[in-house]
Amino acid sequence: MATSTLPPRTRARTKPTGRAPGPAGDLRRPRRRITPMNLTLVLFVVPSVLLLLLLNAYPLGFGLNQSVRDGSLLDDGQFVGLANYTDALTSTAFWEAARFTLIFTVVGVFGSWIVGLGLALLLRTRTPARGLFKVLLLLPWVVPIVVSSTAWNWLVATPSSPVPQLFDALGWGTPLFLADPTLAAITVCIFKVWVSFPFMMMMSASALASVDPVVYEAARMDGASPRQQFTQITLPLVARSTYISWILMTIFCVNDFPTIYLLTGGGPVNATTSLVVLAYRSVFQNFETGSGVAIAFLMTAVLVAVSVVLYRQIRKVDTA
Amino acid sequence: MSASVTLPARSGAQPALARPSRAPEEKGKWWRFALLIVLTALTLIPIAVVIGLSLQPSAASTTTDPITLENFATVLTETSVLVWLRNSLVVTLATVLVSVLVAAPAGYVLSRGRGRVVSGYSLLLFVIQSLPVIVSVVPLFILFAGFGLSDSLFGITLVYVGSTIAVATWMMAAYIDSIPIALEEAAWIDGASVFGGFVRIILRNSLPGILSTAIFAFLLAWNDYLVALVFLRSELSFTLPVGVQSFVQQNMTDWGSIMAVSVIMMIPPILLFATLNRYFSVGGIGGSLAGR
Repeated sequence: MATSTLPPRTRARTKPTGRAPGPAGDLRRPRRRITPMNLTLVLFVVPSVLLLLLLNAYPLGFGLNQSVRDGSLLDDGQFVGLANYTDALTSTAFWEAARFTLIFTVVGVFGSWIVGLGLALLLRTRTPARGLFKVLLLLPWVVPIVVSSTAWNWLVATPSSPVPQLFDALGWGTPLFLADPTLAAITVCIFKVWVSFPFMMMMSASALASVDPVVYEAARMDGASPRQQFTQITLPLVARSTYISWILMTIFCVNDFPTIYLLTGGGPVNATTSLVVLAYRSVFQNFETGSGVAIAFLMTAVLVAVSVVLYRQIRKVDTA
Repeated sequence: MSASVTLPARSGAQPALARPSRAPEEKGKWWRFALLIVLTALTLIPIAVVIGLSLQPSAASTTTDPITLENFATVLTETSVLVWLRNSLVVTLATVLVSVLVAAPAGYVLSRGRGRVVSGYSLLLFVIQSLPVIVSVVPLFILFAGFGLSDSLFGITLVYVGSTIAVATWMMAAYIDSIPIALEEAAWIDGASVFGGFVRIILRNSLPGILSTAIFAFLLAWNDYLVALVFLRSELSFTLPVGVQSFVQQNMTDWGSIMAVSVIMMIPPILLFATLNRYFSVGGIGGSLAGR
C-alpha cells in the first residue's frame, strides 16, 4: 500500500543495526539475506502471528469445513455440500433475522453517531466540570452489558416498571416494551445506542480536537454562520474519522450478541433475533453446528463487503 | 467567539494562541451547560437504578434504615460471588498482560516497517477483526474440549487474547507512530540493538499507548458474555458475567441482591476509567486502521 510514500521510514528496514552503521553501499544495495534488523522484527511478530493462526485462522478453516457438514458439537457429521447455506438462504427465519440485523445496525451506527457527535460538540465548549461530564458520559460503554441490561429490564420490562408507569401517568397507557414485537425491537435499538454512543463520542472528540481552530477564525472572518461552519468545515474535516467510526460501529453492531440476548433473548416471537443470535441458537440450542456456522459466514461476507465499500470511501476522502 | 479577537494587538502575530481547548464559540454557555446536565442525568438513570436498588432493604429485611448494606452481606456470604470476582480478575489481568506483551512488539513492526508483508499483515488483522466471535468460538470450544480446556479459565483467557490482538496491535502502532524515529536512530548510533532501542526508547515512551491498550483489553475481557457463556459450565469456574447472569435467572425478583452483585461487577471497570481515562484514546484506532 504505502510502499514508497514514506522514505524516511524505509531506512529503518534497510539499515543494518546501529551497532555498525553500514557503509553507504548497504543502503544502495539492499541485501536479500536476513539482516539482524529484519530478524528482530520477524521475531517481534512471531508471537502475534502464532496466536492469530491458532485462535483465528484455525477456527476459520475448521468452521468452513463444518459449514459444509451436518455435524453437531460432538460429531463431525457427513459432507452435505452447500446444503447449510441454501437452507439458510431459503428459510424465513434467516431473512427475518437479516432484516432485524439491518435495522439494529443502521439505528445503532447512526443513532450512536448522532448522539456521540452532538455530545462531543457540546463538550468542546468550555463548561464547568467538563472532565467530570466526560467520564460520566462514558459510563454506559464501561459498565458491563450484563449489569446495564438488568437495570434496563427493571426499568421497562413489566407493566408495573417505572417507565410504563410514567407513560401511564402521562395518559399513554402501559406499553409492554419487551413483550410487544415492534416495541421490543425499538427498545433493543435504543439500548444499543445508549451502550454505544460513548465510543462514538470519543471518536468524534478526538477528530474534532485535531481540527485547527484557525480554520474557524478564517471562516468567521469570511462571515460563515455557525451552521455553515458545521456543515462546510467541521463535517468535511472529520469525514475520514467519521467513515472509520462507521466501519467499526457496523462491525460492532452486526457482531453484537449480549446487547440483544441479555435484554430480550431474541424474543418476543423472534422479533429481536439477529443473525448472531440465530447462529448461536442453531449451534447451542438446536445442535446444528453446520447451519449455525453457515449463517455466521453469510453474515460475515456481507459485513466485509460493507466494510470494503466504506473503506473505499475513506480512500476517496484522502485523495480529494 | 470573541476570545481571540480581543487578544492584545501584539499577540496578533500568533493566531495559534487560540488553542484547541479554547471554545470556538462562547455564546449560549448556560444553556449548553444545562443541556449537558439534563442529558448526563438521563443517561445515568440505569446506573443510578443499580446503585439505588442495591442499597435498599429487601422485603424480608427487618432493618428500618432507608439505606443498608445488607444485600451486599447476603450475596457475599450466600453466593459464590467472591469466587467469580477472583476468576474474572485472574482472566482479565492475564488477558491484559499477554495482549500488551504480544501487541507492543507487533505494533512496533506495523508502525516502523513498510512493504508488502507489513501491509498484508495489517489487512489480515482487519479481516480478523470483522469476523464474528461466534465463528471462532465453536471450533475453539471443540478443540479445547479435546485438551480438557473447555471449562477452564486458561481456555477463555486464550480466546480473549485472540479477540484483543487485532485492535491492541493497531492501538500500539498508532501510539508508536507518534514517537519520532530519530530517537531510535540516535540509540542505534550509540550502539543499541534493535531490541535495545525498542525497550529503551519505545517502551519507555509509550506508557499512554500501553495503558490505552491495557484498558481496552481489560474492558473486553471483563465485560465479555458470549465466550464465557459457551465455555464455562461449572459454577466454580464462572466469571462474573455468567455468574451474575445465572444469579439473576435464579433470583428473578430479589432485586436488592441482584443489584448488589451487579455493583460488585461494575466497580472495577468504573474505578479503572475514573483513574486512567485521560490515557484512553480510541482516536488512534481509526488512523492505524485506514492509514496503511
